[in-house]
Amino acid sequence: MRILVVEDDELTAKALTTVLLQQNYAVDVAVDGWIAWELVESFVFDLILLDVMIPKLDGIALCRKLRSRGYQMPILLLTGRDSGHDKALGLDAGADDYVVKPFDPEELVARIRALLRRGPAVSQVVLEWGNLRLDPSACEAIYGEKLLSLTPKEYALMELFLRNNRRVFSCGVILEQIWSFDEMPGEEAVRTHIKGLRQKLKAVGAPADLIETVYGIGYRLKPLEVPNFSTEGETSPKTIEFQKPSKQQTLNILAKVWDKYQARVSQQVEVVERAIATLPHAIETPPGPTNPALPAIPTSSLAPAELTQLWQQARQEAHTLAGSLGTFGLAKGSKLARKIDHLLQQSLPFDSHQTTRLREFVIALRQEIEHFSNQENVDTPTRDEESRRLLIVDRDRLAAEQLLKEAETWGLQGIIASELTIAKSQIEQQPPVAVLLDLSIASNRQDSLALLEELSHRVPPIPVLILTTQDHLNDRLETARLGGRTFLQKPIAPVQVLTAVRQVLQPTAAEAKILVVDDDPAMLAALRTLLEPWGLQVTALSDPQQFWQMLEVTSPDLLILDIRMPHLSGFDLCQVVRNDARWSELPIIFLTAHTDAETVNQVFAVGADDFVSKPIVGPELVTRIVNRLDRMRALRRLTDTDLLTGIASRYRSTQDLDRLLRLANRHHQVLSFAVLAIDRFQQIHDREGIAIGDVILRRVGQLLQQNFRGEDVVARWGGSEFVLGLYNMRQENSLSRLTQLLALIGQQEIFAAPDRKLAITASVGVAQYPNIGKDLQSLYRAADEALYRAQASGGNRIIVANA
Amino acid sequence: MPKRILVIDNEPYIQEIAQICLETVAGWQVMTAGSGQEGLIRAETSSPDAILLDVMMPDMDGLSTFRALQANPNTSTIPVILLTAKVQATDLSRYAELGLQAAIAKPFSPLELAEQVANALGWNLSDEVED
Repeated sequence: MRILVVEDDELTAKALTTVLLQQNYAVDVAVDGWIAWELVESFVFDLILLDVMIPKLDGIALCRKLRSRGYQMPILLLTGRDSGHDKALGLDAGADDYVVKPFDPEELVARIRALLRRGPAVSQVVLEWGNLRLDPSACEAIYGEKLLSLTPKEYALMELFLRNNRRVFSCGVILEQIWSFDEMPGEEAVRTHIKGLRQKLKAVGAPADLIETVYGIGYRLKPLEVPNFSTEGETSPKTIEFQKPSKQQTLNILAKVWDKYQARVSQQVEVVERAIATLPHAIETPPGPTNPALPAIPTSSLAPAELTQLWQQARQEAHTLAGSLGTFGLAKGSKLARKIDHLLQQSLPFDSHQTTRLREFVIALRQEIEHFSNQENVDTPTRDEESRRLLIVDRDRLAAEQLLKEAETWGLQGIIASELTIAKSQIEQQPPVAVLLDLSIASNRQDSLALLEELSHRVPPIPVLILTTQDHLNDRLETARLGGRTFLQKPIAPVQVLTAVRQVLQPTAAEAKILVVDDDPAMLAALRTLLEPWGLQVTALSDPQQFWQMLEVTSPDLLILDIRMPHLSGFDLCQVVRNDARWSELPIIFLTAHTDAETVNQVFAVGADDFVSKPIVGPELVTRIVNRLDRMRALRRLTDTDLLTGIASRYRSTQDLDRLLRLANRHHQVLSFAVLAIDRFQQIHDREGIAIGDVILRRVGQLLQQNFRGEDVVARWGGSEFVLGLYNMRQENSLSRLTQLLALIGQQEIFAAPDRKLAITASVGVAQYPNIGKDLQSLYRAADEALYRAQASGGNRIIVANA
Repeated sequence: MPKRILVIDNEPYIQEIAQICLETVAGWQVMTAGSGQEGLIRAETSSPDAILLDVMMPDMDGLSTFRALQANPNTSTIPVILLTAKVQATDLSRYAELGLQAAIAKPFSPLELAEQVANALGWNLSDEVED
């Protein structure tokens, strides 16, 4: 985090710097308004600490200027004790908060922390709902800028609502989701916690009905009012349509129950068919081959007792079908089953008329059920495809069409909009999964940026990737501030654009692979229908014997196991998986009809993460899976990120670089690979201590991240060594960017003590793919050797490895 | 406190449909039992506010189950609604004589089930979750 202190009084500035450095913030000082303005224009600050009374451009005017130019970083004012007027002016001018001088360091730090929490550069894992923000990685809830102090259960409740912000939760469901199996209290507990939560929300200024009671159903988040998207630029507010468990939703759930049980229904009909097949064609004729439409089971093959049993079972099934098919929406099926039921209740033997009618009814019933099942299957998958639309907002028809074609091969349906108004109406019609926005689409750049801002403020936000012909640092910064996700410089290969789109789309739950092992095919089919619309890729396996092979082939993100299966139990499989180091992290969920303490204990004892009781209820299972995947991703982020600098770790970047090299190879592209190190870092480290060393590393990490975004690989590989991978970048271009970077590093002022600044320089070794090497290892060796020469010859320079 | 309902039906999909409909439409808490015997145990241990009982079940049918519920002082006061194909006037008066609260015709319409149950018991569907 980087803070700009604008203070003309040297003593106060020093005091502020000392306090902030202690908190591990990077600090820059400006002694007047103009210098502050210049600094803000050239660097990214996470927060500005602004004295009101400063020379040249006063604090209020600076504040106004910053806000009018779209800078959104938090501004904290420093004011004199009795200057209520200044405070009001400052807050009006766009400041976020103020601290009265002489300041209390603790209060100052607390306010800074609070402001930084709601800064615009939030990672996407933060959950937001209006002014309410939840950071699952820190287990923090903030309303406006006030921290809510929540109990773990209250926090879990809040997270449940925010993760499922359109869903209504009944008390029972909340209990199941939040309380563990052995502490399951009554539903009053939920009510009590909701009440407590509402009070806490109210105390920080949130509306009392933020968590709304839905009469007769449960609780949900109150829908947000959001501005409508309109082509005319009107701003009539419109409430987003939220799904209640409407009739339609209930019917959808019921349709899934049908999917789940249609095999069973089919079996029930089959029992009736088998019983009727034992009937002779007419009373006079002996038992023999029957109507070919029915399975022929000659009477003779059954012992009298078995025959009696079969008939009794048939009566039972016919009765059940009569009483249940109508509930699924098969009214005609119910009527047919009722007629069959009536006929079967009559005593044997049947006359030929009865037999014929029975046969007709059973055939009709079978047809009715099959017809119904086929109908069900027709309309589920299509919606999914339509929803994966990529909106390409670009005037350049040719380029747009190339992108469209490329998008198709990535499974995205491209839509071209050659004007902003078309883009807006397309978004209104059906929100795309992502937008590619060429900033030059509108004659006024502000209009393009306005669209970007609108899209990132939508609920849920639509990711926007920026295409531009110009590469100004300021553009990058501005678009990033407005929520732009990736900055792509034209001309650029369509495959590269789509790679970036893919990266942006990946972090959601979509694309996760799930392996389900259950010996019941009906259950597998039901799970597939249930999970696939959520973008979860389901591989179903009914034979546990093939398990290991399938695990290797599919390499799933999550595993669902049935407990009871022939040959191998789910417990056995789970243990086998856990014993293999490669799969020890794989989330495992059990499906079980038994939720007695012993089974549950065993589920966790063999290393599973969760269990879902049968019969499964769709939304519960989906929520559990999505939560589990989210948590796994959070864990993965830890290994993917270098904790000190926040940029990619060696582990992660190696994978990314390998992928880019494969891509470069396939599409005959070049790649610049660079290794950067801070000159004489070991000496600085030894002399100034580890804390200053960390400040330097963090600062350089930040500079790298700010100047190379999205498509570039930026990583720290340990010590003071940073690695860059610039795809599709010719050597001369990468050299000019690296030169700029070294200049920026040279401008950094690091405070070793309040009164002592350090200057740093860095050196770079560059190796170009494919000239120098084809794989990461040889590129690294060459670049590292060049870096060594650069540092040995005095540092602060770039050396390119020669072939 | 939402109402708690016990559904006794040997057919798993009827259990599940009833559960989904009563939970999503009415917000009631639904427990299920797959046989008359299991229903007796669950009724006694969890004291539901009402029981939906299927007539035709193997082993122990609905009416025997109902008699057993009536015989047990711990469950005799729980209102029982019969799920049955037979809802002629004569059937209904017989059910009333036996002490059944009401009967709902099978197949029931999933979206109307909650309302039928509420009407039979004199409950108001809209005031369940208010605190």
